[in-house]
Amino acid sequence: MILNVLQISCRRLLHNRVELLLTFLVPIAFFSIFAIIFGGGLGRGTTPRIKVVAVDEIQSAVSSQVMSALAEQESLRFVREMGADGLKRDEAMELVRSGSATMAIILREDREQLAAELMADASDQVAAQVVSAVVNRSIMLSEAEYQVSQLAGSEQDEDGNQLADDAASDPNNELFGIEESLQRKVQIIDVMGEGKANPVVSMYAAGIAVMFLLFGATGGGGALLEERENQTLDRLLSTQMSMDQLLLGKWFYMSSIGVLQVGVMFVWAQLVFDVDLIGHLDGFLMMTVVTALAASAFGLFLATLCKSRGQLNGLSVILILTMSALGGSMVPRYLMSEELQQYGLWTFNAWALDGYTKVFWRELPVDALAPQLGVLLMSGVVFLLAARVLAVRWETD
Amino acid sequence: MRSVNYARPTPALAIHDLRKSYGDLHALKGVTFGLNRGERLAFLGPNGAGKTTLIRCLAGLTSADHGEIFLAGQPFKSSEARQQIGFVPQEIALYADLTTRQNLEAFGRFHGLRRRVLRDRLAWALRWTGLEDRADDLVGAFSGGMQRRVNLACGVMHEPRILLLDEPTVGVDPQSRQRIFMMLDELSATGTSILLTTHHLDEAEERSDRIVILDQGMVVADGSLDELVEQSVGTQRLVRLRIDRPLSAPIRAGVAEHAASFGATGEEEISTRIDDVSDHLPGLIDLVRRRGYGIADVQVEAPSLHHVFLHLTGYELRD
Repeated sequence: MILNVLQISCRRLLHNRVELLLTFLVPIAFFSIFAIIFGGGLGRGTTPRIKVVAVDEIQSAVSSQVMSALAEQESLRFVREMGADGLKRDEAMELVRSGSATMAIILREDREQLAAELMADASDQVAAQVVSAVVNRSIMLSEAEYQVSQLAGSEQDEDGNQLADDAASDPNNELFGIEESLQRKVQIIDVMGEGKANPVVSMYAAGIAVMFLLFGATGGGGALLEERENQTLDRLLSTQMSMDQLLLGKWFYMSSIGVLQVGVMFVWAQLVFDVDLIGHLDGFLMMTVVTALAASAFGLFLATLCKSRGQLNGLSVILILTMSALGGSMVPRYLMSEELQQYGLWTFNAWALDGYTKVFWRELPVDALAPQLGVLLMSGVVFLLAARVLAVRWETD
Repeated sequence: MRSVNYARPTPALAIHDLRKSYGDLHALKGVTFGLNRGERLAFLGPNGAGKTTLIRCLAGLTSADHGEIFLAGQPFKSSEARQQIGFVPQEIALYADLTTRQNLEAFGRFHGLRRRVLRDRLAWALRWTGLEDRADDLVGAFSGGMQRRVNLACGVMHEPRILLLDEPTVGVDPQSRQRIFMMLDELSATGTSILLTTHHLDEAEERSDRIVILDQGMVVADGSLDELVEQSVGTQRLVRLRIDRPLSAPIRAGVAEHAASFGATGEEEISTRIDDVSDHLPGLIDLVRRRGYGIADVQVEAPSLHHVFLHLTGYELRD
């Protein structure tokens, strides 16, 4: 009997080619996506570069040397050309706050010595550590080179390297590897997280919210396929109702449920994790409504694309998890290569998360959400129109 | 069968030369027939004959490639047709997770009913289906027969002039089937024309005023049962006589060109067709007895729709 059950199950699987394909394709697809993200397969040679701006407040020979050294760092990408337009500290901080740069490097003088302040966006938890190490190294090397050249110039020692070796042997020397000294030289200041009770949680809440909006939307789209399979759709279309009205009705319903779903989750996040929902209600509502509309349209598009609920389930799992992985719902996008980050912009998740980040993390005014709202709304309309076109076959077959 | 006024000049529904193809498959090859007001028409045909395609054309769910449909003499327009036609699909096309009342209300609204009219129709539908006491129960928990009744009611909430039923009694017990046909008779009595597809030939025979048989996209028969019998298998009755012992030789009667032979050597049954039972059967029995055989049993079988259907559509499997 057990063998018989096993045999029947295998035969059924073999007869259902889509299910068979998905059984093996889904794990491969997900393995590949995560391998690409973490293994650098697709983005090899394009490791994530941290977006920075630098301000040289000292304008000394050493600071200029540090700036030059930073400019040569492959791990940094300067979003403003260094020193080109006399960038000031406040402007640099604003660039960080607006998300244009992940970090602002401010070279300043501290007790007559070169020091650096790193104005950090703590949402990127890796960048601060990387930039701190890079800046430290650049300051130390530049100062060492400068002092060596000075000493060589004054002919106090016949060999600069010897001086450097001597200096290294002095445990109190500021040039080499003393922790206390380093802390004084490079100071990380979180310009985003100040005063926020639990800032990073809001971003994770948004990531999860978008993923579940997509799952909810495809579930709602599945109801349409179910209605088609049990002829309820035929019956509905034989009444006064048109396909346009049916799709719009479902779109609004799925979007409303999505807004409620995300709303309830953020209320929970406020109550339990101190996410400031009330303080960002306007931006939250705008982002949530538009994201829900876009996700619902996507769900309807998938439903009208598929022939059966089984197909929809398989396809939606692959697409949603892929989009969530690429779009930053599972892994922050700043961990991905530049190339993958660009691919991520083809997903709902990336745009939605960028929008939620602007609302909860950067606390930008709602007009700063225009690009995200525009892209999401436009994609929602496009998917809805595509769903309508695909649904024509249900009216004419 | 009930009498129907065929003299009515404009039928409730008239279909003329309807054609529909799906690629190389010609589902309808010029279908023409009509449906009178208050008439119950059984629309029969083997699987793949084109019944569902025709029903979908009439329900406005697909459009024909060629031909015309008239509703009460007026050319078919999808928007108007939806008000005049009720469609009940073969599947239980209901929301199983809604109650009877909620389903009826939903489909009433989809058909454009509002406020008082909707309330009145809802009350009527609950009475009509006999489900007043189950109005607030979820349809998903109902038996097949009850679901069928709700399925039917949802298609007539808007009081259509024409009701299209695609196998409304599939999978229901005889009691529920009886109830459903009583409901349909009630509708028919108020002037609703009913077009019913079914594979239950006994239903078609007993519960319809007229029968249309479709085969391979064409109407192969259209008329009352008597007319179809006369046109196809003829009105002769089949008589079977079981005798008390095997025949030693065929029984012969008459002379010259009127000579006839009954039965075959070694068989214990004699079967033949006769025009008039009261006139010819006593003579046949007498003949058999005179040949020395006793009659153990007599069966007389009138030609039925079953015979007509198989005669017209053949015995070959269609799927």
